[in-house]
Amino acid sequence: MNKVKSILHDYLSFPRYIMMHPFDGYDEFKTEKKGKLSVALVFIGLFALLRILTYQYESFLINERNPMLINNLQEIFVVALLISLFVTANWSVTTLMEGKGKYKEILMVTGYSLFPVILIGYPALFISNLLTLEEMAFYTLAIGIAYFLTAWMLFMGILNIHQYGLFKTVGAFLLTVVSMMVMMFLGLLFFDVIQQIIAFISAIIEELGLRR
Amino acid sequence: MKIFTYIALLFTLPINFSIIRYNYSYFGDVIHSAPGLSYAQTFSERTLNTPLVSPEDLVVYEDLIYIISSGSNALVVVNDNFNLEHSVTQFPLSEAYRDRLFETTPLLLETLVDYRIATIVAINEARANAVATIQALSFLELEQRTEFITDIELLNNTFIANIQDNVVPNDIGAIQQQANTAYSDILDEAFELNEEQTVEPDPEDEEAEAEEPIVKPAPVALVTQPELLGVLNHRNLSGPMGLDVKDTGIYIADTGNRRILKANHAFEIVDEFSQINDITFDNLEFAPLKITTDTTGRMYVIARDVFEGIIELDTDGSFNRYTGVNPIRLSPVDIFNRFWMTDAQIDRLPKFLPTSYTNVTMSPENFIYATSLASANNSDNMIQLINPKGIDVLIRNGYHTPKGDIQFIEGMNNYVIDGPSRLVDIALYRDGIYTVLDSRRSRLFTYDSEGNLLYINGEAGQQLDKFSNGVALEYFGDNLLVLDRELRTVIVYEHTEFGQKVNQAIYHHERGEFELAAILWEEVLVLNTNYEVAYNGIGKFHLRNGDYQRAMEYFRFGYDKYYYSRAYKSYRNEIIKDNFGYIFLAILAIPAIMITFQQIKKRKGR
Repeated sequence: MNKVKSILHDYLSFPRYIMMHPFDGYDEFKTEKKGKLSVALVFIGLFALLRILTYQYESFLINERNPMLINNLQEIFVVALLISLFVTANWSVTTLMEGKGKYKEILMVTGYSLFPVILIGYPALFISNLLTLEEMAFYTLAIGIAYFLTAWMLFMGILNIHQYGLFKTVGAFLLTVVSMMVMMFLGLLFFDVIQQIIAFISAIIEELGLRR
Repeated sequence: MKIFTYIALLFTLPINFSIIRYNYSYFGDVIHSAPGLSYAQTFSERTLNTPLVSPEDLVVYEDLIYIISSGSNALVVVNDNFNLEHSVTQFPLSEAYRDRLFETTPLLLETLVDYRIATIVAINEARANAVATIQALSFLELEQRTEFITDIELLNNTFIANIQDNVVPNDIGAIQQQANTAYSDILDEAFELNEEQTVEPDPEDEEAEAEEPIVKPAPVALVTQPELLGVLNHRNLSGPMGLDVKDTGIYIADTGNRRILKANHAFEIVDEFSQINDITFDNLEFAPLKITTDTTGRMYVIARDVFEGIIELDTDGSFNRYTGVNPIRLSPVDIFNRFWMTDAQIDRLPKFLPTSYTNVTMSPENFIYATSLASANNSDNMIQLINPKGIDVLIRNGYHTPKGDIQFIEGMNNYVIDGPSRLVDIALYRDGIYTVLDSRRSRLFTYDSEGNLLYINGEAGQQLDKFSNGVALEYFGDNLLVLDRELRTVIVYEHTEFGQKVNQAIYHHERGEFELAAILWEEVLVLNTNYEVAYNGIGKFHLRNGDYQRAMEYFRFGYDKYYYSRAYKSYRNEIIKDNFGYIFLAILAIPAIMITFQQIKKRKGR
């Protein structure tokens, strides 16, 4: 019974408390170590699952996705890549900007901030199948609120974790986006170069085989 | 039996695979689909036995097919057995139009009368000369001589009669020429006879040679006012590009002569329009390309280098307005750039001209179906339905905007044809079904009035059932005619079983006979299971019948979200109605139970 209670507290009450009282919540989150990495990772996993389920099971009336093109691995990969990219970029930017947050904390904030999307997304996904085209506005509204709350939690989390002011946080976010782009560019470059090297080596091996 | 089937398949499969048979699914994928039209027969320059050099337009009017040819400047009329009915290259003036010309153009009548008298005098002179020559041919037998004289007389009489009948000047010139050649032919014949029959030395021969120059067509120099006579002279076409035939007459966009020619059904010129009273044409020649007319005879003309829209001319040829202007869409980047530029800089930018229309066709309700080229960044209004107010009202409720091919490659490419379809003509079938012709890939796209893509046909090629440069298409009864400029051929397509069933189902659907339509749609689905439009048709029938669950199922296959939502709403209401008791019970019971539990807890605690 106690275990259930603590799980409920970890996965529902505490994230809700952070959402409602971001300053107090994130303070406890950071100083009292109330945030848990496992919870954050579970939230990220649930978010990826939600994306897959939305792709397949969102109400027919507003689902414009081609079911023939669903790719679960791709969905999971996109979520993992985006979050790791964001966390890494934010960490690299904020360490230069005298942020107080650690890498692990940034990852946890990102995971926790997905809480509203998960909390609203799953029931909304189910309810969307009970709505007509005219009532679908409620669904889109709910999803919109969920994503807004997520953005709110993320913003507040970054602000508190690094102990920044308002404008510094905005600047950190902008720089994070820039550094994400730079990282993506480097990644693509890296893959391209690797590909060429592999092609080169394989050509040499082939050539040697023919000369023998 | 099995072996027979295999052998039959061996022969038919290659043919089946060679035909393009695809359609676009809801998600824009290319999926297999049965073709709606198939090759029936063809008729061409050769079978018609008349020159048909670069034909440009084809119109069907009352069992007759009218083809205009810009190379041979002829209007070719073909009957329903695909045999040649007429081939008109010269359009005589109708009496009424000639009279009106004489009334409205001063001095024209006088010039003509002068000219006519002079011609008659000249011909009489020629005749006298001829008689004199005959008399001089003394070596001929008496009999032969009288024969010649009667010949000459006869000739002369027909000329005079011709001239009396025909007042138009270039005819007279032709008759003179004809007289001269006929006369010299007769003389030649006489000389030949002479060489055969007589051995006499011929002083007469020299005489005859000396006399020949007398018959020179001197009166041609008499044309003192050619520009006036020119008014009467425009009887030939010069590179005509467009044609329309209605009850009010035959309208030809005579591009080379810079005019629109209106003729009656006896191919006599009734009127011609070359002056357009609009500021655009102050420094631009009016070169009409395509024309269509409404039931009252108002003309809608597409002219070369005119970007304002379709020119609307009143029945008397006076300019009314431009209708159906193609909108330009600037990209956000363009708008942003222009915001910073000065006027001088903007002037030096390449001009954003609206794309020009390629063809117009009038529907029986006097709405204009128009096709236009795709502009650089907008290919969505390549087909337009322009209402009398000049607004595009084409219904685009299909899965995709009607614009020919949806999937295509953009950009430079040496291996496949790239870019959006190039629609050059549109033909109307019954019940709002229309077909467009893509000349870039030589394909035919048929849509219904809602904008659903029904079927795709056609393939480029030199074979009998293919076309390589389609320029015009028109429905001829239930058949579709496609005019090929390069092969000088008209290909006749007929509907396949699939196409017939689709059309018939739409016919019933348009009339609200959903049950009959649903039966046909079922048959269509047997022929083509991928046909998403058919599922919607059946779904509507079930929706009417109150079988909401089935309706939802079918709308789901057909991706009709609007009707799915309606069916679902009714279905949901049905469920709620059936289970209202339970639902109400739950609403009452759950709070009651909760309150009870709370009370119990409270009392325990106390």
